[in-house]
Amino acid sequence: MNRSPDATAPVPLLQVEAVSCRFGGLLALDRVSLELEEGEIFGLIGPNGAGKTTLFNVISGLTTPSGGRCLWRGVPTTGLGASGLNRLGIARTFQNLRLFESLTVRENVLVGLHHAARAPLLGALLGNGAFRRHQGRLEARAMELLTLLELAALAEQRAGDLPYGDRRRLEIARALATAPQLLLLDEPAAGMNPAEKDDLRQLIGRIRDHFALTVLIIEHHVPLMMRLCDRLAVLNFGQRIALGSPAEVRTDPRVIEAYLGGQGQARGEGR
Amino acid sequence: MDAALLEQMLLGALLALSVYLPLGCGQLSLATPGFYAVGGYVAALLSTGVAAFVGSGATSPLWALLAEMVLGGMLAGLIALAIGGPVLRLRGIYLAIATIALVEILRVLNLNLPFTGGAMGIFGIPQPFAHAEGYVLFTLALLALACWLCQRLEALRLGRAMAAIRDDELAAASVGIDTPRTKLIAFVASAVLAGVTGALAAHFLNSWNARAGSFDASITTLAFVVFGGSRFWLGPVIGGLALTALPELLRPVGDLRLILFGAVILLGPLFFPQGLVTAERLRALGALLGRGRHRSRQAPQAP
Ligand SMILES: Nc1ncnc2c1ncn2[C@@H]1O[C@H](COP(=O)(O)OP(=O)(O)OP(=O)(O)O)[C@@H](O)[C@H]1O
Ligand SMILES: [Mg+2]
Repeated sequence: MNRSPDATAPVPLLQVEAVSCRFGGLLALDRVSLELEEGEIFGLIGPNGAGKTTLFNVISGLTTPSGGRCLWRGVPTTGLGASGLNRLGIARTFQNLRLFESLTVRENVLVGLHHAARAPLLGALLGNGAFRRHQGRLEARAMELLTLLELAALAEQRAGDLPYGDRRRLEIARALATAPQLLLLDEPAAGMNPAEKDDLRQLIGRIRDHFALTVLIIEHHVPLMMRLCDRLAVLNFGQRIALGSPAEVRTDPRVIEAYLGGQGQARGEGR
Repeated sequence: MDAALLEQMLLGALLALSVYLPLGCGQLSLATPGFYAVGGYVAALLSTGVAAFVGSGATSPLWALLAEMVLGGMLAGLIALAIGGPVLRLRGIYLAIATIALVEILRVLNLNLPFTGGAMGIFGIPQPFAHAEGYVLFTLALLALACWLCQRLEALRLGRAMAAIRDDELAAASVGIDTPRTKLIAFVASAVLAGVTGALAAHFLNSWNARAGSFDASITTLAFVVFGGSRFWLGPVIGGLALTALPELLRPVGDLRLILFGAVILLGPLFFPQGLVTAERLRALGALLGRGRHRSRQAPQAP
């Protein structure tokens, strides 16, 4: 069956359809559904262990769901795997930082440019003029991304030697290098101080505009999410308990009970 | 140093590079001696067969050697291609064990196939070179080519993808690298290099039998890379050269030499856990020489 392009109802960028994920006796995701519209910044919040990272793993192809499916521009992504989904246009960062630690900052971004780096083999082996020009463009692109994320001065440092905040930004640079349309950020502000968090919030807005991205972000810092996100979904024990604008989510009684009630408000006041 | 020993050292360096290639993307494959044996049998069978057919026994033209090396490399590569898919799904020590099993299977096949000469193997392999010096020059050229390719790899996306997989396979997949394919390429390249080396070694050794590819050889070739270092091609080359030479150089001390050899293999990693050649030492060496690519590469980035 062909889905004809329909001007009145645009197909969402990403649809998560009743995704469930079971780990032994634990139901980490329980029929979660979401739709991401192109260009929005969509927040995912919820207490520890709610299933947020698991949902990221399903969307980015690292975990096969035990039920449900995802659709990218209306097409099921089942069985594509992580690298296939990246090539479709989904890039991500990791909550527990997964950089290529023995490579330099610059090389980490160059690895992200893997698909842009395709070049004829013979020319590449001999290092001919065309290959060197191509290489030069890649290096320039890498430096552009590093400059955008304020890492240019650290280009030749080993990624494993970077302080925490720089690593988080390097993961974003590496993800951006793959030229995604959807960027998944898993707790990008974790371990940052308030000033760094504020910088990061502005940075995420900037890169969304600069690259015409859609952003799906997990973050525990609720005030930051309220200011940054166009829409939010709340997960609790694997279930989506709320969805809407920040104002709607903030006043949702189920959210207040499950999440914002205790720690959320305390954190909010702390800022 | 006599030419025959030098030749063995060069062959050792080539085998070390064959172990290094999959290790460069984090795959501990011990299959190299198996592919080495296959390449040797291809050369031994072809050259003795053709010699018998043409009727001129002892010498063989250079082009025939080259053709056998290509065919030996191809057969080894094809075997690697066929088994690489399932085998490379295994990780770490499981991959190591599976590749040891592969070496054993090939060894038993080579012992029992009707045309491989059984336990005695194949004798009187014709000589393309009159002297060991000829082999040395030829092998030196082959080693230089292999080193050049490994060096180029660093600048290519394939080499970067391999390094990324070595550091974090999951993250590599998440930036769009086809990790199974990249690992397979490294595995096949390793097999081709081992097969080519085997074809050359069969001529040099003049005879070939199933002992060429044994579990012992798996461990020895792995020791080359552990000893030399697995981060840069220079490490395995030095490891292969040094550890092939060592037992011969220790010959004057008699039976003690095996103990000393074992001690070196044991103590090497103890004092140089990363192997002899590491990034830091290469950089220090580059600075010492006052030139070198590290500096020229970093110059434009200097603030
Ligand atoms: N691979 C796995 N195997 C078994 N259990 C898992 C696995 N991955 C996640 N879980 C479990 O699933 C639940 C959801 O985990 P998940 O990491 O998605 O939570 P989260 O919302 O990201 O939490 P946090 O805010 O702490 O990061 C947890 O109870 C976790 O222990
Ligand atoms: Mg998480």
